Amino acid sequence: MLLSSVLLAAAATSSRAVAAPAKPPTKVAGIRTVILPSPGSPLCAIRLFFQVGAVDDPKGKEGLAALTAEMIGHGGSKPRSYAELLDALYPLAGELRVYSDKESVVFEGTVHRDNLARFADLLADQILSPRFAAEDFSRNKDDALDFITKTLRGNADEELGKQAMATVLYRGHPYGTPTQGTVAGLGAITLDDVQKFYATHYARDRLTVGVAGGIPDGFAEAFAKRFAALPAKAPPLPKLPAPPAYKENQLLVVQKDARANAISIGHSLDLTRKDADFYPLTVARSYLGEHRTFNGVLMTHLRGNRGLNYGDYAYIENFIQDGWTTFPLPNIPRRQQHFEIWLRPVPPQNSLFALRAALYETDKLIRDGIPEAGFAATKTFLANYANLWAQDVSRRLGYAIDAAVTGKDVVKELRARLPKMKKADVDRAVRKHLTLGGLSIAIVADKAQALADKLASDAPTPITYDTAGTPPDVVAEDKIIERFPIPLSKDAVHVVPVEQMFEHAP
Amino acid sequence: MRFLLTTALFATALALPLLAALTRPTAAAPAGAPAAAPPATAPASAAPASGGGLAFPFPVKDKTLANGLRVYVVAYDSPGLVAYYSVVRTGSRNEVEPGKSGFAHFFEHMMFHGTEKYSLDAYNAAIKEMGADSNAFTSDDLTVYHILAGKAALPKIVEIESDRFQHLHYQEADFQKEARAVLGEYNKNASNPLEKMTEVLYDHAFTTHTYKHTTMGFLKDIENMPNEMAYSRQFFDRYYRPDNIVILVVGDADPDTVFKLVETNCGDWKAGDKHPAIPVEPPQKKEQRAELGWPGATLPMLVEGYHTPAFSTTNVDLPTLDVLAELLFAERAPLYKKLVITEQKVEAISGSNDAHVDPNLFTVLARIKKPADLAYVERAIHDEMAKVAKDGIDDKTLREVLSHVKYAFAGQLSTADKTAYTASSFLALTGDLASINSYFALYDKVTSADVKRVAAAYFQPTNRTVVTLKAGK
Repeated sequence: MLLSSVLLAAAATSSRAVAAPAKPPTKVAGIRTVILPSPGSPLCAIRLFFQVGAVDDPKGKEGLAALTAEMIGHGGSKPRSYAELLDALYPLAGELRVYSDKESVVFEGTVHRDNLARFADLLADQILSPRFAAEDFSRNKDDALDFITKTLRGNADEELGKQAMATVLYRGHPYGTPTQGTVAGLGAITLDDVQKFYATHYARDRLTVGVAGGIPDGFAEAFAKRFAALPAKAPPLPKLPAPPAYKENQLLVVQKDARANAISIGHSLDLTRKDADFYPLTVARSYLGEHRTFNGVLMTHLRGNRGLNYGDYAYIENFIQDGWTTFPLPNIPRRQQHFEIWLRPVPPQNSLFALRAALYETDKLIRDGIPEAGFAATKTFLANYANLWAQDVSRRLGYAIDAAVTGKDVVKELRARLPKMKKADVDRAVRKHLTLGGLSIAIVADKAQALADKLASDAPTPITYDTAGTPPDVVAEDKIIERFPIPLSKDAVHVVPVEQMFEHAP
Repeated sequence: MRFLLTTALFATALALPLLAALTRPTAAAPAGAPAAAPPATAPASAAPASGGGLAFPFPVKDKTLANGLRVYVVAYDSPGLVAYYSVVRTGSRNEVEPGKSGFAHFFEHMMFHGTEKYSLDAYNAAIKEMGADSNAFTSDDLTVYHILAGKAALPKIVEIESDRFQHLHYQEADFQKEARAVLGEYNKNASNPLEKMTEVLYDHAFTTHTYKHTTMGFLKDIENMPNEMAYSRQFFDRYYRPDNIVILVVGDADPDTVFKLVETNCGDWKAGDKHPAIPVEPPQKKEQRAELGWPGATLPMLVEGYHTPAFSTTNVDLPTLDVLAELLFAERAPLYKKLVITEQKVEAISGSNDAHVDPNLFTVLARIKKPADLAYVERAIHDEMAKVAKDGIDDKTLREVLSHVKYAFAGQLSTADKTAYTASSFLALTGDLASINSYFALYDKVTSADVKRVAAAYFQPTNRTVVTLKAGK
């Protein structure tokens, strides 16, 4: 305990570098602008955050928002072709990255301060006067279609499982198709659609300009002012329907060649960072399965005790890992969120056991609450770990923009709320928001029908060990887990060949 | 020079440089975006190495204990934070015994299984209490254990890390379960065709050297891992020795305090014996080829490997190969523009010269839209290589490439953790942190004539291995 108090003190002093609070966002030419100067830094980051995304896709043209973003970031501008843009970016070692999600499009780049002015000029041209050339359209559209039909369907089972789960959890909802679109949606999109989408949606009221790092005085304001050339207003952000409220569990098994079975499980949540319960639920989420750490319950019990797979994690927000780091990508805020469990691929003979084990552990958390020791350890962990989320200037800027957009600085909120939080707060939030009724479950499997039938039959699915020395208490628990109920009615079970996935909006 | 291609993964094998090469961050694959960005208050001296500046500009202190354990402390302006890296100069390159491919990586997993003093649970509880970002990774030439945490945790970090490096203690049951977590890692990678292509590329390009297998290892060896408990003890005894390890601390740490902590905790650790020799790869005499099928949807793909020299801070051929990777395959390259932008036959193409302790490969990767264009794309790559070997390049282009390489390297040093990560690969290669600046000084010696000469010398058909993959059995 002595250690933890020392560490908390250290974390507080380190906040200057790793998670300095953002200045309040200002308005420059009516545009929300976040400025984080770090005079000593040799590097500078720019993030242009547009509250535009797949929710704006017209029906039947799923993928239009993401394709438009690609055309802006990875196409030509009026002053230069895409090839000329690449030539100009190259000596700067400046990469223009584009991130699209359901309600966000981000154009991001980090460059040495020697190259900031040139990079900023190039970026502004891309946003303010995109070329929309036919050859850029065919290339970017091919990339999006190939992502759906080749990468998702044939090269990335874990991502396939996650996207498949979303098609069930968000059936009939704009979050229910891949951000990149559907085969039919992309097929229907014309270059004219892209131009019109840009003209109507890339407006000042949807934009937040973020600039950070070793920037010269006045640079950020002058840069933000350039976007006054955009129209003042886009159509209002579309209202979101409620996700389906499933009374029963839903199972989707995607049939494809697979050595092991990727599994994603989820249900919708009625809270976001704006809600007080988000923070105790964050403690529960971390306790159950902090992303890519050894310390979560799911990881310890499924991988550690049983050797079932490589990793097992839990989430209460849509989570995209930032590159090869352990941390979440910033600037993908959504107005609706969901609870998700991600089980990395499990060999077919044990995948249904693993599914049951994950639900068994979640059920224990819901019924018994978080153990006192686990609560204390997770609180201490998060108080320190949150300081690592925004180590570099681009991620700090990302977190500051998220705070401006959502109205909550998640690191600051945790720092303020954790010391006061009680075990009872976590238990109450868990009981209120987590459930094992009406789950959406997606499994990627070779023998899909047999697997679906087995689960629907309610027969036990015992674990098969090919290793020795499993401790007796684990073996005893296995006997309970293999029969853990996952009620499924016939109508709620779907087996879909991978070739049919993501053809149309469900 | 591509040193380590990805940042630290969770107990993960990083033997697959090609896998990292095509993760262009687009809306289509947002998870692939590397974050390259600066610290809030990095020193102004972290400028790119132009005009005589140093590529690695941070103040460095080091000390070597009597048992051979070397400790580096790098001053980096990250108030309150330290990155603590233990670099074991052993990787899958050292898997010389038959049937043991993948063992260095498996052993990395076992290092998290506790000691008599700190059980697995006690070790994890200590890490959790720190709120640390802690992990490990293995590659061909190294195994790295890293912790990023508040500076007050430093004494505890040195204690628990020194303890497990000297007194690792695990039971056979844990060993067997962890072997299946490693199989799980293989399984999670298996749906990516590049995994298979990489395995086949190195298997075909090497006949004798241990680079023949990937860091993940051959599947049959991974499946047999639960039976290798006795060998695991031998592996630990052989390679987890102070004279084979470098400790690197980057961030807000006082060097003398670090040296004292390490000396107290590691002073009695005994140096090891000589390691088994790594077999030497004979020169390749003729082109090697393999064609693979893929039982599902995929774009066709092409990978190539050309044998290259071992890492060195004196051989100008190495930075010249880095320059060639940029000249031929970067987004500014004529070939990229022709295949990706104009003709649109290729979705992505990249090339990389991968730094290794022993001679390894310059690799090329292309993802092609139509199977019928595979041969055309392969020919276009070879024609472009031949063109550079014949015509060389102009000085302006060379200067642009050098500017890019140096600014890009400066971008990699954007946090204490990323700086430690970048430095760790140099420590594995040479044991000496000064090798970073020595290597970057070599870039200034690269001339247009070198570019021409090196392209002609290495991009020979007889030096090449080609692997293609198409949908279908």
